[in-house]
Amino acid sequence: MSASTRDEVMRHLKAVAEIQPPVQQTGKAPYASDLTHEQYRAYLRSPHDVGGEVDVPVEWTEEESEAWGYRAYVTTECLAWRGVWCAEQRRRMQNVDLGTTQYLGLPYYGRWLLAAARILVDGGHITLTELMNKLDEVKKRHEPAR
Amino acid sequence: MSQHDRTHHAKIATGKGDPQCFKGTTGGPPKFKVGDRVRIKDLPDIFYTRCQVYTRGAVGEVAVITHESPAPEDEAWGHVDHSEWFYIVRFKQKDLWPEYPDAFGNDSLQTEFSERWLELA
Repeated sequence: MSASTRDEVMRHLKAVAEIQPPVQQTGKAPYASDLTHEQYRAYLRSPHDVGGEVDVPVEWTEEESEAWGYRAYVTTECLAWRGVWCAEQRRRMQNVDLGTTQYLGLPYYGRWLLAAARILVDGGHITLTELMNKLDEVKKRHEPAR
Repeated sequence: MSQHDRTHHAKIATGKGDPQCFKGTTGGPPKFKVGDRVRIKDLPDIFYTRCQVYTRGAVGEVAVITHESPAPEDEAWGHVDHSEWFYIVRFKQKDLWPEYPDAFGNDSLQTEFSERWLELA
């Protein structure tokens, strides 16, 4: 168990390096005097405001809807009916708060699901400890028997 | 454990819809009329907005006065006490993108703004 967990941690660190944006400035957490206004504004840009950004043409493909996506969607709607959040709060959390890397890298409904979990924790409806315990319980259910 | 306010959004929108539930909540007429030339303000970008940065400083024409609603910047944190008028503004693509080809000079783009982002051009 421990050895395979260490293996996973090492693979994780490698995967993180692969999704990091190219390093364009030397050093991290610069002094304020080393940051131009243009850089400041670029860093604060909302991930979902992609208009005008350099990109390549996107190939249009029709994808099958997946059941988990529908369930994620219904979950977020139920949270709205119960007054936990409104659509604009959801959009903020799933399109902006999670940052550019997650916005571009995760499946569409994956971001809805993350936002649903986040509002439940932020709103104090569940604790992060409860969420972690549940995730761990579900994960173990899907691990091969030892 | 939470003491969440159940009179929130879901309750005010039930049976009416959103943004219909905010009709009349600005307490006044829209500041701009259809056909007005408006410039998009360059307000600070911080945390959340739906005002695309590529429209800032550009001039367009009010195409439709759409509805009243809390601004996204407020509603994104659940604040619904103050509403604004919303407008669809039509731009010439050439006014947004300097390198847009002359061959498509008639192309236009429409997008929506709350009143705080607009000023008469």
